[in-house]
Amino acid sequence: MRFDLRVQLFVAVLVLPASVLAAYAVSDSPPERLASVESFSSINDTAARSAAIFTELGKVLTHPRCLNCHPAGNRPRQGDVSRLHQPPVERGADGFGLPALRCPICHQSANFDPAGVPGNPIWHLAPREMAWEGKTLGEICAQIKDPARNGNRSVDALVEHIGEDHLVGWAWAPGYGRRPAPGTQKEAGALVEAWVKTGAVCPN
Amino acid sequence: MTKLSVTINGRAYGPRDVRDELSMNDFLREYLGMTGTKFGCGAAQCLSCAVIVDNPDGTSYTSPTCVVPAASFDGKSIRTVESHAKNGELSVLQKAFITHFAFQCGYCTAGFLNEGQVLLERLAKKPVARADLDKTIAEALDGHLCRCTGYIKYHEAVRHVILADPGRYLS
Repeated sequence: MRFDLRVQLFVAVLVLPASVLAAYAVSDSPPERLASVESFSSINDTAARSAAIFTELGKVLTHPRCLNCHPAGNRPRQGDVSRLHQPPVERGADGFGLPALRCPICHQSANFDPAGVPGNPIWHLAPREMAWEGKTLGEICAQIKDPARNGNRSVDALVEHIGEDHLVGWAWAPGYGRRPAPGTQKEAGALVEAWVKTGAVCPN
Repeated sequence: MTKLSVTINGRAYGPRDVRDELSMNDFLREYLGMTGTKFGCGAAQCLSCAVIVDNPDGTSYTSPTCVVPAASFDGKSIRTVESHAKNGELSVLQKAFITHFAFQCGYCTAGFLNEGQVLLERLAKKPVARADLDKTIAEALDGHLCRCTGYIKYHEAVRHVILADPGRYLS
């Protein structure tokens, strides 16, 4: 084998595990924190970097603060253990509850810690087509990119939705007795933006 | 502290300062001495704490008061169980509850009365077919918990009031 070919082969053998190790190190941030966008720069392959960024964002998307209101069925879940919501409320026709007990009747515009009731001005369930419960991260990714299932949003609009939406932002200020989503909404928004810019690749 | 102005049973209260963490249930019972509204579970499950909230458009709904801050009722108009009887005369629904022996300990009764009253007012504006009546009553009273009665006589009392005036409540 020619010397330069052996050097190329040697470098390739070195780089491959290094990039795998870098990806591992990047996603090794504590569960309550989000890795920075910059920490993924060591992943040279753009598609791999994109998928890794989404995997990190998945810590937010699959967190109980988000998952509890993206149920597959008719009932929201609650708490860090994602038990079925008590009282036994239901989705209703519009995601704001049944006529007899609409979500905003108990869930006011802000958290009410003395009763342990979280709040936001537009407290409601995500539409059924945006259910994440029971799905893999890859399936959530495909769904989140699909305008037919993400509220007709472009991937660019997802940056604003996850990074700036007020109800989404509640996940990071959920009130007494609830763990906030990992990192901050700003960090999550940065990850979404970086994911979009790298081609919005879904993990397997 | 937050300023609270609220109309209760037709009477204006406030503006007065209330602590942000004060529940509406505590405001009614502890501040105003209106103990007809009960505190049951403290988790909006039993609905013995429910009061009627009157919208400006003439519609009404019931709201728990145990998990809802008093401050969130600022500017609203509500009715408690104390509003049903007028000048010592029990309402038609209250009388039906008595004749049907709908309640036993009475702890859930305020919530059932308020919910039943909201249903009657809704049907008076938008009657339902006789065939849909039982389902309508069941859906309206759903969520109110009772440990004593088994619910049947509450339903019968509400049905009695409606069937006694079908021209008003049924289509």
